[in-house]
Amino acid sequence: MTPIVAIRDLSKVYERGGTSVAALDHVSLDIAQGEFLSLMGPSGSGKSTLLHIIAGIDRPTGGTCRVGKVTVTELTESELADWRNQNVGFVFQSFNLLPVLSAYENVELPLLLMNLSGTKRRQLVNTALELVGLSDRAHHLPKQMSGGQEQRVAIARAIVTDPSLIVADEPTGNLDSHSADEVLQILQTLSSKEIGKTVIMVTHDPRAAGYGSRTVHLEKGRLKEE
Amino acid sequence: MTTAGFIIKNALRNKRRLFLSVLSAAASLFLLVTLMVVLRELTKPPADGDSSLRVCVRNKVSLAATLPQRQRAEIEKVPGVVVCSPFVWFGGKFKEDEQMIFGTIACDPEKLPGLLQEIKYDPEEYAAFLKDRTTCLVGADALASEKFKQLGLKVGSKFTVMSGIYPCSLELKIIGTYRGTIDDRNIFFHHKYLDEALGDWGLTGMWWIRVDSAQSMGAVNTAIEAAFANSANEVRAESERAFQMSFVSMWGGIKDLIGGISILVIFTLFLVTASTMSMAIRERFRELGILKALGYQRRELFAFILAESFGLSALGAIIGAGGAWALYTFADMKKASSGFFVSFQVTPEMLGLAALIACVLGVLSSLAPAIAVSRMSVVQALKTLD
Repeated sequence: MTPIVAIRDLSKVYERGGTSVAALDHVSLDIAQGEFLSLMGPSGSGKSTLLHIIAGIDRPTGGTCRVGKVTVTELTESELADWRNQNVGFVFQSFNLLPVLSAYENVELPLLLMNLSGTKRRQLVNTALELVGLSDRAHHLPKQMSGGQEQRVAIARAIVTDPSLIVADEPTGNLDSHSADEVLQILQTLSSKEIGKTVIMVTHDPRAAGYGSRTVHLEKGRLKEE
Repeated sequence: MTTAGFIIKNALRNKRRLFLSVLSAAASLFLLVTLMVVLRELTKPPADGDSSLRVCVRNKVSLAATLPQRQRAEIEKVPGVVVCSPFVWFGGKFKEDEQMIFGTIACDPEKLPGLLQEIKYDPEEYAAFLKDRTTCLVGADALASEKFKQLGLKVGSKFTVMSGIYPCSLELKIIGTYRGTIDDRNIFFHHKYLDEALGDWGLTGMWWIRVDSAQSMGAVNTAIEAAFANSANEVRAESERAFQMSFVSMWGGIKDLIGGISILVIFTLFLVTASTMSMAIRERFRELGILKALGYQRRELFAFILAESFGLSALGAIIGAGGAWALYTFADMKKASSGFFVSFQVTPEMLGLAALIACVLGVLSSLAPAIAVSRMSVVQALKTLD
């Protein structure tokens, strides 16, 4: 089966004070559609860098990254922005909801870039909020919600555009175990056969990684698959 | 949610800062409009429709130099001249006062209505004014002033004015009032009375003339100047407007000062807006990074910031410049300025200029943060602490 994410010989070198630091060192990796991949590794191992390159918010210094039929590493900034909007859903450790917007409005944000009617946007936002079980909290501000609820809103925002790829950077890092389980279950559901999203999650937590269908380890920028 | 709604919600996130910033911008623009009005009032004296038909004839050497009264007959012969009256700025003041703030003008009362066709008066009072050379006609604003009230002066009262220019003082009786002119604060009295007080003076300060049409003014001026060319008392004839404008040069220093203050006000406005936008954007750097990750393009983030800054400045302009317009339109600025300013008009050009300055500064002050945001990488923004 053709992988949805194909990474070949990917490198990322940072220049810091005249010293070169290799965050990724010739990494190659395939990720299948519908896979829930857990990326693990110690701090500084390059897992977040790898996730950022796959998601098109960072650029490698060498190698290629193809997602679907698009070689992400060859896109311009403007093309990347459009591509991210339509193909990638982001879930961050610190939720990153806009505090002045309600849950509904936060979820609606990526849709404002699409040429959709208000009715269509409303329908998509309500579906996404329903999927994460927060329909009743649609008009609450982030500060009026718990951490777990905020992260579920972030997931709703990530899936509202129906992207093929969902990237999650330590999504349970700021949550208690109960909320973390709820979030991980949602991510697991998204990667189920019925929904078929590809989920790539960076985590330190082996228990969280256990929700994934596959775990890969990174150490000093190199891949160490289990 | 609409894009405009999103921008407004962002702008309103720190209401106190927004309020203070808008207030600062409004105060700056209010001050700017005020300075523009002051500058205009100082450099462009108010004029009525008839002023384009009036000519001032003065000694060519200096405004302080006098003219012989015999010139009047020559001037009245010039084609196009309808009315001619002597005109002396008496510079009158009350006994111990430093300076009277009202003009005391010696003229020919017979000719005054012909010169100032907009003047309104009681015919009986005016008839009495014509009969008694020791009387004066006082502008309604002067009579209603605090000074006149303080001295208990009303129609029928007598008072003494000392000249700051001529070696005499005159006792005048207020015979009536006038109104309807561009400046109803003057006191008109008989030139003959001044002539007598100065011992058959035979001179005057200048001639005040009304011509039959605006078209003939140029020819009349030329003819009058030519009539006295190479005489001992050469004259300069110019329109009333041009005469008033000759005083403007005396305000040169003040013009520069006001211009300098205006530039400082604009610069302050720029600093206020730039500081507000820089703080607002720095606080939101991470959020803007999130928007970028969600697919927002550089140009969209750039537009968000520009729109917010522009909105802040525009709101300041509406409140500041609009407030200045409302205040100066509906408040009695003549009274508020103790009669210093006869009019205090905010013109559409001033409002437009204030709005333009505000908007341009709004855009300029947001350029640096907008460029920084458009250049930032998502990863860099995500690393920013909240």
